[in-house]
Amino acid sequence: MTEGSDRSALSGRLRRAPALLALGGACLISHAAPAAGGTGAGRFHFVDVAAEAGIDRQVHAGRPGKDHLLDSAGNGVAWLDYDRDGRLDAYIVNAWKLAGSEIVERGRNALYRNRGDGTFVDVTDGARVAGEGRWGTGVTVADYDDDGWPDILVTSFGPNLLYRNRGDGTFENVADRAGIEAPAWNTGAALFDADGDRDLDLYLARYIDCTLEEVLAARPTLSWKGVAMVAEGPFGLVGGADRFYLSDGDGHFEEATGPAGLLDKGLGYGFGVVAVDLNADGRLDLYVANDSDANYYYRNEGSGRFREVGLWSGNAVDRDGAAQAGMGVAFGDADGDGQIDLVTTNFAEDFTTLYRGDGKGFFEDVSDMSGVGKATFMSLSWGTVLADLDNDGDLDLIIANGHIYPQVDAHPEFGMTYRQRNLLLENRGGGRFVDVSQQAGPGFLVAQSSRGLAAGDYDDDGDVDLLISNLDAPPTLLRNDSTAGNWLTVVLEVPPGGGTAIGARVSVALQGRTLARTVTSGDSFLSVHDPRLHFGLGTARGVDRVRVDWPDGSVTERISVEAGRFLTMRKLREDKIPPAPDAVNSGDPP
Amino acid sequence: MKRHISPALLTMILMLALTSPGILATEHDTGTPAELVAAYDSLADSILAVKQTERHMVQSILATTFSHAQATLGAVQKKMAGGENAGAEIEKLADLVSQLGNEGDAAVAAIRKRLVEGGHHHNAQGEKDGIYDEGFVIVTRAARKALLASAGNIARMAASPNAEKLKAEWSAVATQYKSLVKGD
Repeated sequence: MTEGSDRSALSGRLRRAPALLALGGACLISHAAPAAGGTGAGRFHFVDVAAEAGIDRQVHAGRPGKDHLLDSAGNGVAWLDYDRDGRLDAYIVNAWKLAGSEIVERGRNALYRNRGDGTFVDVTDGARVAGEGRWGTGVTVADYDDDGWPDILVTSFGPNLLYRNRGDGTFENVADRAGIEAPAWNTGAALFDADGDRDLDLYLARYIDCTLEEVLAARPTLSWKGVAMVAEGPFGLVGGADRFYLSDGDGHFEEATGPAGLLDKGLGYGFGVVAVDLNADGRLDLYVANDSDANYYYRNEGSGRFREVGLWSGNAVDRDGAAQAGMGVAFGDADGDGQIDLVTTNFAEDFTTLYRGDGKGFFEDVSDMSGVGKATFMSLSWGTVLADLDNDGDLDLIIANGHIYPQVDAHPEFGMTYRQRNLLLENRGGGRFVDVSQQAGPGFLVAQSSRGLAAGDYDDDGDVDLLISNLDAPPTLLRNDSTAGNWLTVVLEVPPGGGTAIGARVSVALQGRTLARTVTSGDSFLSVHDPRLHFGLGTARGVDRVRVDWPDGSVTERISVEAGRFLTMRKLREDKIPPAPDAVNSGDPP
Repeated sequence: MKRHISPALLTMILMLALTSPGILATEHDTGTPAELVAAYDSLADSILAVKQTERHMVQSILATTFSHAQATLGAVQKKMAGGENAGAEIEKLADLVSQLGNEGDAAVAAIRKRLVEGGHHHNAQGEKDGIYDEGFVIVTRAARKALLASAGNIARMAASPNAEKLKAEWSAVATQYKSLVKGD
């Protein structure tokens, strides 16, 4: 898609002409023709269209001087289709504005409904999802009550919010009733089926154990490089203990942290979380990025039991055995070997880490040889995603950046700034990444102190756009106007009572290779990507096969699918397999 | 070791100072009272002794972990010799070798973090020189890297055990361990 195209008209066509072709549990929805393929340097082009699209909510972030780490930790953003009209809507989490010890303004979260013409309308008040005056941190989206409507979990510094989608354009906060208010400095979260009983359980990461009084009283007391006083921590502050809750399948959760083997004995400063199958055994594992501590890799042992194996699996620390400052997390097949790799973003003067997975639960830090390490060393990095931005068939790496200390701007001798440009690392094949941010259009020249990042095709033109939250500023919406190859986007639908799509793995086979994606309730930095699964296809005009491995073990397949389409793969009720205590691997594919 | 003297100890010192006849009798002497100097000197002995005690504590953690690992290795080898599946025990061995590299498990790491939070760095100069990671007492950065690599190599054998490779990997672990604790 090139700049200047009639995206509004295109978008309208894309969503309005469904041609349902039900075949073996799959429905094919025809959309517009694929974008032209393209190769060569300079094909990336991103433009910040947040203001003209109507996404303009100021996101607060404590005090200007960032006296406490809560002031600078930032917030998540989410793409979701809350009204199930087929268009991608946006949700922005907000915090508070402080002045010294005074609360100036309690920020309001924002829900933007996609009009389908490239613009959004603020429906926060009508939908009743403004955040109840809480200090919001992160967001997770999933249909926790299996009624067919996506619900929103907002993690908070304080009690969490669980916005149950009533299906009529409004939500109600049921966190108290559900038993997951869990007041603390909650950060990343994952709703996923931990025990194979087909309902969604909850893992909650926590950062620092502190009170609002301590936050309000905080003043910069830590010496930064001997030249400035900045916010203390995380060392000097006690880590918050992560929590795990099992769902009873009836809208209520019970804490089961210890019995599940998820006791946070190390009191790691937890941020980004993802639930994804890291050892290809069919069960969803947990990966937690910890700031200044070893990351956690909780391997799912079945029946709701986990075991922490990060230190010997190779993804807890860097190649030198040192813990880094984990912030955000991304996953995907970075090198095209068919196995899931992991990315964790880290502090400045340290590198974002790319861990190459072998599909058996072992990982190797390949940050240096992949080019990721060198490109990311000076940035302080947060939200991240592995996504195919140019539709060439491999996953590029996008990273949102921004320092936590505004004080760094007074000391240019250290080569850092508070507001930083985000990074686009192009995958040149085989997991070799090159920084092309400077050639990726004005959108990647924007400098903010960015945090949350969510990837999604909001304008339905077949390429992936980026929504990014910024401290003390409105979000950035980077519209992808790159010259891109062919594409296919798979939309998963589960009927009410049919279980969950969280954890479903979608694979497409083409030209002798297989590309795969997994549905999560969130990852990156406290954020949620497009629930629809996007595949860049390069010059291929279609794919030989699309296969969905649903979390309950059932399988839906479709063969010979043309490119340039939104393909809806619907889980039929009759696909459902009778419940079993640990049924993750018990279903025989039909 | 915390940065601050405990309130009880401080109270004891003050009581000693206030009730000492020596202090009352030297009202024209501007130097620090000898009794307080002596008390502080004694306290310094205690502080330095505590630091040594900390080293012994971590050494005990390492020794216990190493012994546990040796026993686990024996169980692994017995199972392998009997043609049984030793995967679970091999992973347990990998856990223990990881703990050698980490000077204990995650709970110990949390204590280490608390000590660093309190301003205590057992090897402050070693940390500055890049020899030790923050808060580590005995395990150097290089040893930690090697032990974690060995743990990973051992864990990989859970799926396909190999007696010779396991023996070689354990030999590397044992050599590393003995090198760390020699002289203690």
